[in-house]
Amino acid sequence: MATASSAKKIKKTSKLGPILINGSLLLLILIWLLPTFALLVSSFRTRFDIQTSGWWSIVPHRAWMTDRVIDPDPNWDRDGVMNIEGAQGTFEEFRNGITLDNGTRVFWIGNKRIGKVEIQAYKWTSNFNFTLENYGQVLGGKTFEVRQPDGTIKTEQADNFVGAFLNSLTVTIPSTLIPILIAAFAAYGFAWMRFSGRRVLFVMVVALLVVPLQIALVPILQDYVRLNLNGTFLGIWLAHTGFGLPLATYLLFNYIRGLPRDILESAFIDGASHFTIFVRLILPLSVPALASFAIFQFLWTWNDYLVALIFIGAKPDVQVLTMRLAEMVGSRGNDWHLLTAGAFVSMVLPLVVFFSLQRFFVRGLLAGSVKG
Amino acid sequence: MNRKFAPLFVLLLVASLLLAACPAATPTAEPAAEPAAEEAAPTAEVAEEAEAAPTAAAAEEDAHPGEEAAMAKGLTELAAAYHGDYEGTIVTMTGPFTDEDAVKFDNSMAAFEEATGIDIQYEGSKEFEASITVRVQAGDAPDIVDFPQPGLLGTFAKQGKVVPATVMIPEAWLAENYLQSWLDMATMEGPDGPAQYGVWQRFNAKSLVWYPKASFDAAGYPIPTTWEELQALQDMIVSDGDTPWCVGIESGAATGWAATDWTEEFMLRTTSLENYDAWVLGELPFESPEVKNAIESFATIWNDDSMVSGGRAAIVTTFFGDAPTGMFQDPPTCWLHKQGNFITSFFPEGTEYGVDYGVFYLPGIDAEYGSPFLVAGDIMAAMTDRPEVRAVMQFFSTGEGVKGWLAAGGALGPQKDVQLDWYGSDLERDIAGLVNNATSVRFDGSDLMPGEVGAGSFWKGMTDYFSGAADLDTVLAEIDASWPR
Repeated sequence: MATASSAKKIKKTSKLGPILINGSLLLLILIWLLPTFALLVSSFRTRFDIQTSGWWSIVPHRAWMTDRVIDPDPNWDRDGVMNIEGAQGTFEEFRNGITLDNGTRVFWIGNKRIGKVEIQAYKWTSNFNFTLENYGQVLGGKTFEVRQPDGTIKTEQADNFVGAFLNSLTVTIPSTLIPILIAAFAAYGFAWMRFSGRRVLFVMVVALLVVPLQIALVPILQDYVRLNLNGTFLGIWLAHTGFGLPLATYLLFNYIRGLPRDILESAFIDGASHFTIFVRLILPLSVPALASFAIFQFLWTWNDYLVALIFIGAKPDVQVLTMRLAEMVGSRGNDWHLLTAGAFVSMVLPLVVFFSLQRFFVRGLLAGSVKG
Repeated sequence: MNRKFAPLFVLLLVASLLLAACPAATPTAEPAAEPAAEEAAPTAEVAEEAEAAPTAAAAEEDAHPGEEAAMAKGLTELAAAYHGDYEGTIVTMTGPFTDEDAVKFDNSMAAFEEATGIDIQYEGSKEFEASITVRVQAGDAPDIVDFPQPGLLGTFAKQGKVVPATVMIPEAWLAENYLQSWLDMATMEGPDGPAQYGVWQRFNAKSLVWYPKASFDAAGYPIPTTWEELQALQDMIVSDGDTPWCVGIESGAATGWAATDWTEEFMLRTTSLENYDAWVLGELPFESPEVKNAIESFATIWNDDSMVSGGRAAIVTTFFGDAPTGMFQDPPTCWLHKQGNFITSFFPEGTEYGVDYGVFYLPGIDAEYGSPFLVAGDIMAAMTDRPEVRAVMQFFSTGEGVKGWLAAGGALGPQKDVQLDWYGSDLERDIAGLVNNATSVRFDGSDLMPGEVGAGSFWKGMTDYFSGAADLDTVLAEIDASWPR
């Protein structure tokens, strides 16, 4: 009896399990993909469409479509009961629309003075009005027509995305490589080298994890002003390196520490120096951890706004992509329809990086989860 | 071998990257303050030249006409700049102008830069308020900062980080070229008592009501010139079956600021200027009957579903830039929209002033308080004191300093020597006319209040009240409590 019931139980859970897992996976995929898809659709829609209807109106649906428009007769009694196209009702009723038996609807738009009467039918429709103009403005830069004091009109081309894209690359690539390099050395040292004060130093590095970078902005900027580093790429590389190092060291330490002791010991016996071991053994073995941290750091520096705002500023020659994106909405947010296209352009590179490194990423997620 | 040294190559590569960046580091920052002796030198030089000016100007072919004009106004550094004394110098600026505004600003500076050889480097940022605080604290302030909110300037002035405008520009010229109320609005508490910090370069008018002109004419609605006429117009629109007002105060993290503008308008119209000034300074609390009365007098419109497009519930959820779109539908769904002159950049493309839309002054309510005008603007404040910085500040104090922007549209000039025919569009010329007719001019109160209130609890409080989350008394008490004492 007992075995039978437990066997039944196993069978039941084994059926329920995949459904639960697949179901929640599907839900997660929907939660992530739907907004991205909506963003993609919106980035191809015209400014007017974005402001007046949702992205889902591209899906065929039934809606009231205007067949013809008639001008209201001035003699109609707007404060009493009117008879329009076979429909009878008061002004308020017509404003809400009166549906006739033949499926058409009589609809009054506007007020009593300058209104119009629309005869509508309930039809299938979809809003397939796409444009590339948003991308054109994002990639090519907006053009402004500026009237000069002498009355002539001068056309000014605003900065486009290309310069900012290159600036972002210039900031991001060293800001990813430098901390990885330093952190890998440090992690190896903490994990496999014996020296006094090792524990204290390591605790200090880990403790830095909980320090928010915002409190470091003013002091660092003060130093940068003295060193003439503010507004330079070197300044922001160092800033990103500093802010990224504690996490990088901690993550790589836990991974490197977990490598099999035997391999390292046999290397030592064979007479390998620390540097040889690091280069020939540790680095190749910790590629998953290095790659997963590279993804983290790359995404963080690519999407960073605050650090860039403080340390390199918004001058067009050094401006990064996030800052350009924020400016794109216009002086008063009047061009926010461009954000969708801009967001997609700025997403391209992180997506490429993620997909090219993702086979390491899943393995790397386990980095540091099991201490050796 | 190669494989063994691969990491070394990486190291070398990184090191070379670092080295490559170093030379770029040096030219960025100019020495912040030059010796005072040097500063005095050009002034003396100019004084000498001033005597010989008429002959020298005639003799020198490329003498700029601005030099003599500046001399006549007593602006010695500006005259020296036109003479070419500061050629090749750099003046750095920071402010909130981005995108179109940045283009227009650069454009209005182009002629000055060409004539003087001073390079004005403007760095505009969306998060200007956040970054300037950090930069000033870190000692990385630019030469001139453009503040759209004088309240923030007041904070720096108190810390002694700002050079008073009267040090850089002769007081007599400021008094001659600005209305007293502008000078009052630039006067702030400094470390050595109150002084004028900064000069006004441009301003925006707020007490404006926009309407769809074509539809207005078709419907035969009159343009109101008094508060009674405006009320009659509202009732007329309601009885025709429409909602008169388009109102929206949603603006992301800044939701509610549009409601503070309305509060200020009605403060000016229902109580005295003294009370308004006291309120802005925090001496008259929000809980006082005057402030409460001002809010209630426009809340009777906002809380009435038949008065506001979409009803009261839509006010808080409608983006302020989308609010006027109802006016441009055919036929319009709402007919009146109160907003500053910048709102035209949100109007649908292709709409034209005088054809599709028009504007009138939001009339005064009580004859006792006249017709006040609410404005906002950009005050330029100097953080360093060098001759070329003085020249640029002096340039901003003249109408020439905003001329290019007036032609491009989107700004008004507060300087007295601004000519009406400098305005590039009828719209701004008409608005400037409306401002000239005003009996008093007051600056946007929420921009003058401390940031915690003017850009915080005041916005939030008004949003809470109109969304129905809290009643007016609670909201006003909360705003008072948040005022830093």
